[in-house]
Amino acid sequence: MSDFKDMSRRRFLGFAGQAGMATVAARAIGVNLGLVEILSAQTGKGAVTPFSFAIITDSHLFSIPNHKFDHSLADAVNQVNALSPAVDFVMYTGDIAQNGREDQLVKGKKILGNLKAPLKVIPGEHDWYLDMGKAWNGLFGKETWSFDHKGIHFIGLNSILVRDFWTGAGMTPEQRMGTMEMLESPIAGPWGVREAQLEFLRNDTKNLAANTPVVIFTHSPLWDYYPRWNFQTEDAPQIREILSKFDHVTSLHGHVHQTIYNKIGNLSSMGALSTSWPWPYPPVTLDYPGSQMYQSDPANTKDGMGSQVVSFDSSASGLVQFEPFANSLTPFLKAGVKV
Amino acid sequence: MSIKKTRKVYVAVGVTGLGLLGAASLWARPPFTEQQLADQQQELLAVVNHGRDLWHGSNPEMSKNGLACGNCHPDAAASNPQTFPKFVPQLNTVAPMRDMINWCIVHPQGGKQLDVNSADMVALEAYAVYLYRGQKLQPGYTLPTPPDPVKSGVGYPAKPSGIGVDK
Repeated sequence: MSDFKDMSRRRFLGFAGQAGMATVAARAIGVNLGLVEILSAQTGKGAVTPFSFAIITDSHLFSIPNHKFDHSLADAVNQVNALSPAVDFVMYTGDIAQNGREDQLVKGKKILGNLKAPLKVIPGEHDWYLDMGKAWNGLFGKETWSFDHKGIHFIGLNSILVRDFWTGAGMTPEQRMGTMEMLESPIAGPWGVREAQLEFLRNDTKNLAANTPVVIFTHSPLWDYYPRWNFQTEDAPQIREILSKFDHVTSLHGHVHQTIYNKIGNLSSMGALSTSWPWPYPPVTLDYPGSQMYQSDPANTKDGMGSQVVSFDSSASGLVQFEPFANSLTPFLKAGVKV
Repeated sequence: MSIKKTRKVYVAVGVTGLGLLGAASLWARPPFTEQQLADQQQELLAVVNHGRDLWHGSNPEMSKNGLACGNCHPDAAASNPQTFPKFVPQLNTVAPMRDMINWCIVHPQGGKQLDVNSADMVALEAYAVYLYRGQKLQPGYTLPTPPDPVKSGVGYPAKPSGIGVDK
């Protein structure tokens, strides 16, 4: 497994090489690193029973029948169903649909219905802005939730809420959706979870002990990665403040269509591979550049996409392992990344 | 002629020469007036804006599966117009950017390729090149290929078209 902690560049490169060799060897004998360590055990006050879950995200389904993205999502479902040991649940971190149409969401729900494990879902902006979440809520329920599972507290928030830019401009729902579909459109402004969900988060976590491991799911990252593409959440500082009492928080998000790690204070963050298309890395200097996957090959329709598995051991240490459709990962990433 | 007189002649010739040079630079017509330059820039930006709209799916002929250039290349990221012409593996030849654009239209987007000399193709190229303005020309791939910078390519005045503007 790969760990960014206290890693100088030289150590990082050496470690990446070793991790890569270990992974090659492990994969050659059919061992999936990280998952082999799953044991039922408990330690200390924050008792965690080891388990794993999968993340699928950003399928961007069109209404066109038999679209290539339908098959990509089905591939991810098959990938997750084939995992051994089986995952306890599957998290979908937003953007099932491309244009927010109900038929796209229904199609996504049908394909995801083939998962063997239970499904949890939060919305992305492509799911939401045609009817302001009406179809999504009807199909998937509330977008803000929390639950406890084997010693870990999980939270899901809707992070794609923007200020009303459409009423004053007299936009139709289709124009509103079209504006939100464009990644680099500044019309909509920054996304956020807004006050009602911040209040939910305060209430949800106020009675939890500081040593409770917390995992939070949002569509967008909880750090200022690249605001121009809404690779950010406007009220992430407030979220991080509310969660600052915990020893460790893991933030797992979609939207960025790429592997990307960051750490701010007690919050470790990891972005997920999409099942639709990869996005180029934006022009920013990263604290953890080793978390970038290879630049994808446009001639390979599966490059830079896939799903991921997150496993927690008895010490609540999380490991993200990417399951790409093609050979998209550096040796460092192939080993899985501790979060 | 005395040395003093000779010096006076040299100075007079020098001053006259400088005067003529100065006059010539005043009389020389600049290539364009400020107004002409402003008009030309406006023409360019109109084409860039058209390219931006095309990049984000305004021509349905360019895509049969709903995808547009902007899906994979927001802000024209990773399109790297400054690296063309270059050997394009998909085409197995050294090609200009317009051929790569057509490859993307036909393959990832499943659309109908553009006439390489069409106004739409010029607009698509204009959009990408404009966003990469200031980048050093660097024909060919570089290894390792760095993350594609668009930092010099953000921000240009544009009229709201409903699909996104910068300022």
